[in-house]
Amino acid sequence: MQVYLPIAEMSVDAVLLIGIGFGVGWLSGLFGVGGGFLLTPLLLLIGIPAPVAVASGANQTIGASVSGLMAQWRRGNVDFRMGFVLFAGGLLGSVLGVQLFALLRRLGQVDLAVSLFYVVVLGTVGALMVMESVRAMRRRGRPGGRRKLHEHGWAHGLPFKIRFRKSRLYMSVIPPMLIGFAIGLLSAVMGVGGGFMLVPAMIYLLGMHTAVVIGTSLFQVVLVTAMVTLLAAIQLGTVDILLTLLLLLGGVAGAQFGAAMGGKLRGEETRALLGLLVLAVALGLLWDLVRPPVQLFSAQREY
Amino acid sequence: MRGAARLLRTTLLAALLGWAGLARAQDAALVAALSQAQVEVTTGFSGAGLMVFGSTDQPIGPGGDEILVLARGPTRPMVIRRKIAIAGLIWVNGPAARFAAVPGYYMITGTRPAWQLLPEPERQANGLGLDALPLDSTGARAPAFRRALLEQETASGLWVEDQTPVVIEGNRLFHVRLPLPATVPTGVYKVEVLLVRSRRIVARQPLTFRVDRVGGADRIASVADDQPLVYGIICVLAAGLAGWLGSVVFRRG
Repeated sequence: MQVYLPIAEMSVDAVLLIGIGFGVGWLSGLFGVGGGFLLTPLLLLIGIPAPVAVASGANQTIGASVSGLMAQWRRGNVDFRMGFVLFAGGLLGSVLGVQLFALLRRLGQVDLAVSLFYVVVLGTVGALMVMESVRAMRRRGRPGGRRKLHEHGWAHGLPFKIRFRKSRLYMSVIPPMLIGFAIGLLSAVMGVGGGFMLVPAMIYLLGMHTAVVIGTSLFQVVLVTAMVTLLAAIQLGTVDILLTLLLLLGGVAGAQFGAAMGGKLRGEETRALLGLLVLAVALGLLWDLVRPPVQLFSAQREY
Repeated sequence: MRGAARLLRTTLLAALLGWAGLARAQDAALVAALSQAQVEVTTGFSGAGLMVFGSTDQPIGPGGDEILVLARGPTRPMVIRRKIAIAGLIWVNGPAARFAAVPGYYMITGTRPAWQLLPEPERQANGLGLDALPLDSTGARAPAFRRALLEQETASGLWVEDQTPVVIEGNRLFHVRLPLPATVPTGVYKVEVLLVRSRRIVARQPLTFRVDRVGGADRIASVADDQPLVYGIICVLAAGLAGWLGSVVFRRG
């Protein structure tokens, strides 16, 4: 069944979109991540223009994350003070990211930039995940050395310290703001929520209490993707609400099935699989950048 | 679609019956019309077809008069970019040619191809044929850019040249279908029907139709254009609501 996407100005098979939404939702439920990093490349693959794919990807991440956020909120697992500090950075990052995107579009380098961002970010994260989980699998059974709660390093010498009671931290607002800024920037350029980077950053870089990590990261993801959606709608005019809703239709169903299945997998295996998946997406996009193009020329509407 | 076909049939019939009297009353040798004045792009739009039909006072066909039909959509600025390999490794968009006014739709057909019917200077002057389209560009000047634009538009079905010839019925009546793919831009379309006699254009009739977004697709696009802030807020809320509703509906256990 073909539907006409009013902002992308093209007809796409609705069943295909719902199917993509379901598949990505299923994987994200299985691995407990937002799935934006899979969604945007898939949309590019079926011919959705990069600006629309990125903005609508950010838009659909709101929907994919909101129910998780509400569940965590009910359990009291959201550190709002940390969430707002992260968001303050995220706000700045997303504003700057949308400006960067507008500039890239004028230069005709959006596709290149989006692909490069994906290759670098996903390649790094994927490789780290695979290495980390392989190490964990090797270590299993053997008595390992006890890890420190968190490192006391350079970050503790910074000013503007406040107490984050739920995260069990007393630290400067600068590191979380920087992290929020980076995630906001990535969100605007890649159309992802950034949970897959935010969670490790909160655990390893900030040393947050793990119980509040997921809830707080979802809080930041929902706020930042909402901001990116709003800015993209105002400044770029690239948010396609019909595309978003069709993806969500499949996505929310898929996520529930995936989550039910995810409970049966062990932690290290899950992370190794997710890492491999992330790496595969990065390699696929890298291949697209380095192989000689089928079409040397591309025609686009001038903005 | 069926309604349009019925309308076309009745119009054709009326044209046939009332023709003799009408043709004598006017001195124009050519009368033509469109089956629809408006094409509606709905959320389920997957392309459409429009009939151009008409009649002449003298026999059409081999040895007699010939018909050319030309249709143009609204223009838009386009940019063609050529990929280059940086350090022989990564392919990026390099030089670009900007075309200020590229017709979003262009179709030409006739009882025979235009180049067979008209002398070359006349065909070029009237822009009859893809190779005769006046396309001014800035930036990179190589002819390959223009060729790439042509290829792209032809491949997408937005530029059509001599795809199906004009059909002649009983020496006097002619009709041809304008194929509009799903990606047609919205706006005013100009159709021109030309009567060619002894390698000269002796009569021309301009016609217009509109392609409009209607229903949900139109409302979404116009809100997004006119009130982007409101549209953005709606997008955020709709996605949040859909996510929450979905998790309630599909919750297992």
